[in-house]
Amino acid sequence: MATTVLDAAPSLASLYAKAALTSRGRGGELPDTRLARHGVTVDRDHLADYARVCRMPLADVLPATYPHMLAFPLQMALMTDRAFPLATVGLVHVRNRIEVFRGVRADEALDLEVWAERFAAHRSGATVDLCASAAVGGQAVWRSRSTYLSRGAKAPDGAPEADVDVAVGSLERTAATWRVPDDAGRRYAKVSGDVNPIHLSGLTAKALGFKRAIAHGMWVKARVLGALAGRLPEALEVDVAFRKPLFLPSTVALSTAEVTGGWDVAVRSATSGTEHLIGSIRTLKEKH
Amino acid sequence: MADTSKPATRKAAIVGGNRIPFARSNTAYAQASNQDMLTATLDGLVARFGLQGAQVGEVVAGAVLKHARDFNLTRESVLGSTLAATTPAYDIQQACGTGLEAAVLVANKIALGQIESGIAGGVDTTSDAPLAVGDDLRRVLISLNNAKTMGDRLKALAKIRPGQLVPDMPRNAEPRTGLAMGDHAAITAKEWEIGREEQDELAVRSHHNMAAAYERGFFDDLVTPFLGLTRDNNLRPDSSLEKLAKLKPVFGKGEGATMTAANSTPLTDGASAVLLASDEWAAEKGLPVLAHLVDAQTAAVDYVHGGEGLLMAPVYAMPVMLARNGLTLQDFDFYEIHEAFASTVLSTMKAWEDPAFCKEKLGLDAPLGSIDRSKLNVYGSSLAAGHPFAATGGRIVASLAKMLHEAGPGKRGLISICAAGGQGVVAILES
Repeated sequence: MATTVLDAAPSLASLYAKAALTSRGRGGELPDTRLARHGVTVDRDHLADYARVCRMPLADVLPATYPHMLAFPLQMALMTDRAFPLATVGLVHVRNRIEVFRGVRADEALDLEVWAERFAAHRSGATVDLCASAAVGGQAVWRSRSTYLSRGAKAPDGAPEADVDVAVGSLERTAATWRVPDDAGRRYAKVSGDVNPIHLSGLTAKALGFKRAIAHGMWVKARVLGALAGRLPEALEVDVAFRKPLFLPSTVALSTAEVTGGWDVAVRSATSGTEHLIGSIRTLKEKH
Repeated sequence: MADTSKPATRKAAIVGGNRIPFARSNTAYAQASNQDMLTATLDGLVARFGLQGAQVGEVVAGAVLKHARDFNLTRESVLGSTLAATTPAYDIQQACGTGLEAAVLVANKIALGQIESGIAGGVDTTSDAPLAVGDDLRRVLISLNNAKTMGDRLKALAKIRPGQLVPDMPRNAEPRTGLAMGDHAAITAKEWEIGREEQDELAVRSHHNMAAAYERGFFDDLVTPFLGLTRDNNLRPDSSLEKLAKLKPVFGKGEGATMTAANSTPLTDGASAVLLASDEWAAEKGLPVLAHLVDAQTAAVDYVHGGEGLLMAPVYAMPVMLARNGLTLQDFDFYEIHEAFASTVLSTMKAWEDPAFCKEKLGLDAPLGSIDRSKLNVYGSSLAAGHPFAATGGRIVASLAKMLHEAGPGKRGLISICAAGGQGVVAILES
């Protein structure tokens, strides 16, 4: 295993360009490489922009989803590298699990590390997990696992079965209705740097096979956490499955149900009931 | 026979307080909304007193500068906080009197036995201030919204003039006089012949007192850091008369102008909250009682047609409250006179010392007399901390309650807060 330490966050726009140019001829096993950045500090203005676009309160403890902002460019650098077996363009984010071992304060410097693992077979292709961890002073404080599906791709022989489901209980009651505007993707792209064309406009989404622009899954996840502000444990696990795309604009309904040790949540179309996100939020008991 | 169906009134206890450090306008909290700051302040209070998930009797708070989106601000903040979502809340607004009036309202309900516990607070941002479209444009936009046909919409749009596109900035000015609060205060300062040097002295003392209080850890259990700020960033521990003497006056006109940026409070962002309760509730939860809120009085003056100074209402409220409690102005161990402007504090004290004023305006046989200056704002006040309008009352109530508690049982403290609109709130705390 080799770890490469970067001094700065890679530019996502140029990584997307690279991804588009290098999508052909991919294959083989997952690389054993890790990318890392040390002593990453939070820009409070950026945090404020993030909180505003995700409808979260501005506070000193980072939202559970925020370290993903810092780790995602490293994951993109890993995925767009020619050694990575799957083409980045066309990857669909199908599941994201975040563990917060303790509340991370905005003034703490984070050591980030990202890697890929669990190349798995899926009924319509193959999945891969892009993982990230954040540590403060050598102690792990946060970890995430993003599962991406590559349709039509083939996992290596002997690969395990993909694991993309999150179990939730009954979610009947609507807690809130959100009108998600046409520009929701562009607004989140501006803050996150995730300028994947499928989120930006109808035209760019069409070019990649979607009928309209779709909302970022991580934005929907963050908004769910924002809606539960003040009702979440400090150490938690938030595991969500991204189901059908949330086409923009849309009106969606958030359902929440308090269960032992946390919440079950769902975001569905307010009109058709199409499931966009289901998830479970639980108090994290064991320290890792 | 006495009616025994209702409990006799009791004095509400002040259990403690929490605030975020105050920040000068457009600095550390430039990105924070009223709701962000009030929620963080409530969460800090909850953490301090172990109230996670607990329901308190009610939360009363307010903001002076409010967005339309700040509808139900306090209730929305409670819903976003770690308090039980079943905690009722409501908003009030009495300009700079908001925070203290909120504490009085909560204390009164506790006194009447209607609630056992409550939180009083206040918040203000001058950075994330509400911008309104001018009244003319607002009317056009409303008629545009009501228009049914395209023709009506175009007609409505045609009424927009370029000059209407300039938004109305909120100003710290009195709607009926058009004068900034500082200009009003300057008129009063001139009437009471308040000199530049005594104002600067008061300002320097406020900074030094507050810096010393921070140094000895007095604020450790009153303030929770927020957005990277651990102390009020207006605080100047090295403030000196020489430095202040160099500043040019900003309020009042001509030779006699004395009010500068240093002896006037700056525009500030911040929030504060105070936990009040019945003695029984505090004992049950194992929480301390720092002091009790004994009494309060609000007064208003006619600064528009009556010729009284805008910020002189506390002067009128004081003798009413003292008489009701059988106390004199000298019967107190600590005095907290809100430093909206140094000249306001000085004019207030001078008025209480003035036999003619006390006889003619307050209807008293003898003046209220003078205050021992060594007992005044001993841990600094608004000139040092800054003054996020609605948050000042909570800052003072919590600090004074702690000062009285430290001084021991049976000590008395007096609060005097002036407010826009010619109003003022005064209160007595006792340990």
